[in-house]
Amino acid sequence: MTLSFSNIDFAYPGQATPILRNFSLTAETGDIIALQGASGSGKTTLFRLLLGFEKPTNGTITLNGKELVNEELFQFRNRTAWLPQDLDLGEGSLEEVFFYLFDFKNNKHKKPSKEKAYEIFEFLGLKDTQWNTGFRSLSTGQRQRIGIALCYFLDKEVLLLDEPTSALDEASKEKVKELLFDKNKIILSASHDPWWTTRCNKIVKINSPVV
Amino acid sequence: MNTIIDISWLQLALGLLILVIPIYILRRFKTKLIGSTVIAVVRMIVQLIFVGYYLEYLFKYDNPWVNLGWILIMVLVADFSTIDRSELKRDKGLLASIFVATFLGVFIIDLFFLQFVIQLPNIMEAQYLIPITGMILGNCLRGNVIGINDFYYNLDRHQERYRFFLASGASKKEGLFPFFRTALIKSINPTLAAMATIGLVSLPGMMTGQMLSGSSPLIAIKYQIMIMIAIFAGTLLSVYLGIKFSLKVGFDRQNNFRTAILKKEKE
Repeated sequence: MTLSFSNIDFAYPGQATPILRNFSLTAETGDIIALQGASGSGKTTLFRLLLGFEKPTNGTITLNGKELVNEELFQFRNRTAWLPQDLDLGEGSLEEVFFYLFDFKNNKHKKPSKEKAYEIFEFLGLKDTQWNTGFRSLSTGQRQRIGIALCYFLDKEVLLLDEPTSALDEASKEKVKELLFDKNKIILSASHDPWWTTRCNKIVKINSPVV
Repeated sequence: MNTIIDISWLQLALGLLILVIPIYILRRFKTKLIGSTVIAVVRMIVQLIFVGYYLEYLFKYDNPWVNLGWILIMVLVADFSTIDRSELKRDKGLLASIFVATFLGVFIIDLFFLQFVIQLPNIMEAQYLIPITGMILGNCLRGNVIGINDFYYNLDRHQERYRFFLASGASKKEGLFPFFRTALIKSINPTLAAMATIGLVSLPGMMTGQMLSGSSPLIAIKYQIMIMIAIFAGTLLSVYLGIKFSLKVGFDRQNNFRTAILKKEKE
């Protein structure tokens, strides 16, 4: 699988300065990429462009040579797992919101048992978390771990991780690496954490365009 | 049962004298609401006089086409009110979606109750059609304002959650399901609460009106039960259809939410 950003320009509506200018990147299966750049340099924006939530002003994003629009985009969204910086699964208990993702037709066959899911929670240091706890009442770090567990169980070919270790201690980071690093995937991560970036096999620097 | 005693216009004017009490209280507490009260009372009187004369005409001529025309006008007014009282812009597609949803919500329920339950020889009979439609429509309007507003407000506020679902392999329908559920619950809660307390806390207007017109309380409660069920079903149906139809306008081909349909478009 080859994922390519070619000469991407992008500015948010109403903003004169583009956040990305002439950005290119090619990622192959097995690549574990750390996107590096200052806050606001466009790391998260790249994920949003890739997932089709924003449209590049110029340039194309392709998967195996095919542009990610319409049907290609829908199929791609089904091949990704995205860990946002602040995961919001909505109202409801942890059990309701966690398993809701496995009610989707595309994910039904990946639904883990409660025991298996809890095993991974425990592995990630979530042993005191109860299934009936309201998702909203969990801390940022706990929500991040839940998101990582979701990425693990969804087991998609492309992983998009936005600051995956920002609220984790070193022991937990090691476990996240153990759980998610996979040679059969493309992993794109936006991270400020040197611990994480040094463990990726490619580093791509994003510099905000100079006006 | 006795028939109702008509009130003369003079007697009605006499009835307005009681407004002295609320106006005194509002004035004493310097609420600055006296102007609004006078305007509201005058508007209510003018609007009801207009409706009274209009309905007299509708009932007298009882023409199915005129009756249908009146219902379409009521639905159209409800349609604009729903959009104007919500966070949504007056978009043609949205107006059309909510118009069709409200009309179907009212029409299906009317058809069911008037044709199958009351078994009217002519379901377009103004005496039944107009008041029952009006009761259902008023509640549909309230339900639509709450439900449709809640749906789009929450979607706008929690757009990242919807996007997360899409990015996790959800179809548009699956990604919107939690927002849809919350909107339906919120829109129907007032009707549920009203059903649960009816008769204990208040006597509904329709039932009171019927009894004042000489109906036996037992006939009045049967109509009231029917109308409560009709309101409940009609509200839920029109909110469901309103959201469902508006989805075609509110999303682009990539299933992204079009914030351009909101009054204050967020960039």
